[in-house]
Amino acid sequence: MMRGAAFAILLLGACDALPRDPAGTSTRIERNRIFIVALADPAIRSAPQVSRLVEEIERRTKARARWRSGSGESLFQQLDEVKIDLVIGRFTADSPWATDVAFAPALSTSGTKDAPIELKAAMRNGENRWIMTVERASRAISQEARDQ
Amino acid sequence: MSQTSLPQELCEPMARAIRLEYWNIFWTLTIIVTMGLVLGQSETMKTAWIEDTLGLVPPIMFLIAARMERHSHRSRRFPFGFERVNGLGFFVAAVALTAVGALLLYNALMALGTQEHATVGSIVILGHDMWLGWLMLAAQIYSLIPPLFIGRKELPLAKQLNDKLLHTDALMNKANWLTGAAGLAGIIGLGLGWWWADSLAAAIISVDVLNDGIKALRSSTAELVDGAPRALSSTDLSQDAQKVRDRLQAEFPDATVRLRETGRLIRAEVHDAHPPLECRHPRHYWPDEEERNWRLAQVSFIPPIKADEKS
Repeated sequence: MMRGAAFAILLLGACDALPRDPAGTSTRIERNRIFIVALADPAIRSAPQVSRLVEEIERRTKARARWRSGSGESLFQQLDEVKIDLVIGRFTADSPWATDVAFAPALSTSGTKDAPIELKAAMRNGENRWIMTVERASRAISQEARDQ
Repeated sequence: MSQTSLPQELCEPMARAIRLEYWNIFWTLTIIVTMGLVLGQSETMKTAWIEDTLGLVPPIMFLIAARMERHSHRSRRFPFGFERVNGLGFFVAAVALTAVGALLLYNALMALGTQEHATVGSIVILGHDMWLGWLMLAAQIYSLIPPLFIGRKELPLAKQLNDKLLHTDALMNKANWLTGAAGLAGIIGLGLGWWWADSLAAAIISVDVLNDGIKALRSSTAELVDGAPRALSSTDLSQDAQKVRDRLQAEFPDATVRLRETGRLIRAEVHDAHPPLECRHPRHYWPDEEERNWRLAQVSFIPPIKADEKS
């Protein structure tokens, strides 16, 4: 009985311990209390979901967002080089970047039914703990993200 | 003499093997669906999933071959029946294993070379966010269980039927824990932030698939080109065949004995020797226990050429 309880506690502890980030994004954010965000399209800054998402991530990580300017391709390059932690933008549902970055669930969708455009966050591939944090934050602030 | 290719003695174990292979396909399908649901971007999971899917090839080939062996009669067009269909199925399974194993190994090495970082995000289950890796681990553990039991049951039947296809399948199933362990280590490594663990585990699994394929390919091609009968689990010469050769050589010391294998049956040619005066069934020459004497299906004698016939 005691052994079973101890194993269950150990397992629950392990549940929280994994996953970790290969490039240590979450640990760095926790240590420096700062994460870097860029917008793929400056026009979306006024979208309520963008500020709500960033605030939710700030609340969950107890870190502040530092905004960086840039555009499309160069932002993904900086994401890959660990210079940026998060890119938020409007991307097509079947974005060609889907294999190069990890997308969080869409916060909202616009465009036509045949070519939907999704407002969502992109993170560096493989940073699984950080990706989970952004996915959880996306679901927390958007019904559409929760439904995916 | 049976009108089909299957010796009468093997009807009952063959029926059991067929039932087992249907169960094998059923359980393999449940594994494929379970693994498919939590595949994600992990190389380990994709490789393990393809390996599990490939696991369907040997039982399907076995069932096709068994059907032809049991139900297709000898005819003018196929006077020897379909006893070699099993060997053909073995060859097809071997080609599939080798080709896919090589492809998977290439993919895993490319992923290692380009330092691909696999993304395994979260999933919502009953309102709770959960790391998909935990479900991958659960699916990997589930994928270990059915093959272990099926492999254990297949092995004695494969030996009884002297069926290389069934035997390869049994060994693949029994050795599945190895790839399962590599898969588990790959996902745990990925969770610990070791990006290379995923691709490395995928490479280990694909080497195992490739190894199975090459062994099966060597053994199956040996049969197709009339090589000497090979052992069930390796490319070594079969012990049964060695004993038959020794038995025939002992009675016909000046003859040249040549053996080949058609499916599960051994066929012998005794060159430069006259047949014995009394009428003997090929099974007479079987040197071991009687219940396996069906293995020796033919003993032919080719007498020496007389001096006047040479010219």
